[in-house]
Amino acid sequence: MDLNKNKILSNTIKMKPIKHLFLKHTLLLFCVLLLANCKTYLAPSYNQTIIDKSTEATTETFLFLAEIAGGTNEESFSRRENTYNSLISKFETLNLLAKARPVPSNKTTEQINNLLAERNSPTSSSDYPSAFAFNRIVENLVKMKEKDQSSGLSPIVIETFKGEIKIFLDQAVTYESFLKR
Amino acid sequence: MNNKTANLIDSIKNVASNILEKDIALVTGFSERQAEAISKQALIIKAGIATGEIEDDLIGFFLDGLKHMVTNFVNTLKGILKVVLEKVWNGIVTVLYEAIGIFNV
Repeated sequence: MDLNKNKILSNTIKMKPIKHLFLKHTLLLFCVLLLANCKTYLAPSYNQTIIDKSTEATTETFLFLAEIAGGTNEESFSRRENTYNSLISKFETLNLLAKARPVPSNKTTEQINNLLAERNSPTSSSDYPSAFAFNRIVENLVKMKEKDQSSGLSPIVIETFKGEIKIFLDQAVTYESFLKR
Repeated sequence: MNNKTANLIDSIKNVASNILEKDIALVTGFSERQAEAISKQALIIKAGIATGEIEDDLIGFFLDGLKHMVTNFVNTLKGILKVVLEKVWNGIVTVLYEAIGIFNV
């Protein structure tokens, strides 16, 4: 019995340095991992799906705008209604996808924002310029649909809608492509 | 300053310059495209209002559009600037870590 007691006691004494060593190594590994994660993220992550879907929606939009470039009248609106709905839903999806990513928040981004705010830089939706652009494209398509339904569209009105959509698409695609780093 | 320090400074300068050169060229191209397209858009709106084809209900919408596109152009540039800063920061940290010889970030 005493022999057993001594054996247990000696094992406990031996375990202490092993435990200490394990703790030391875990702490060292933690420090290494902490330093290895020194990569900074100031912008949302890249999403290939957004690029693919926006390319697809862009092609369909330009195809539709080319088809109606000569002008439309309200009588034939029903033939175009589904195309409008399809395009609106595609850009709404893109707006959601763009906003669905978390924006890294840290002191650096806060300081950049403060610096830009001090210089009277616009602040609305600045964290998601592509989402803002997709949303404005939706607004354009909705307005275009309403106008087409009520009185048809003249070529210059179609050209104006196309111009705005093109500018916002360039902003969205350029920003999203830049996120690939 | 010894050779090792000079080499490290050169590496930091190179990594920052390479990123900035490439990205500034892309930003310049984007800015030029946007400036041209926004100017053209303003002229199209002007022409449409002059001929009466852009009616009252659309004038406000398109003028708001001009304001929004300029605002978001600036916000897009801000977003791109953040990505450039991130790339330069991470590039320099990588060079420093390589110099220390522990590991890469």
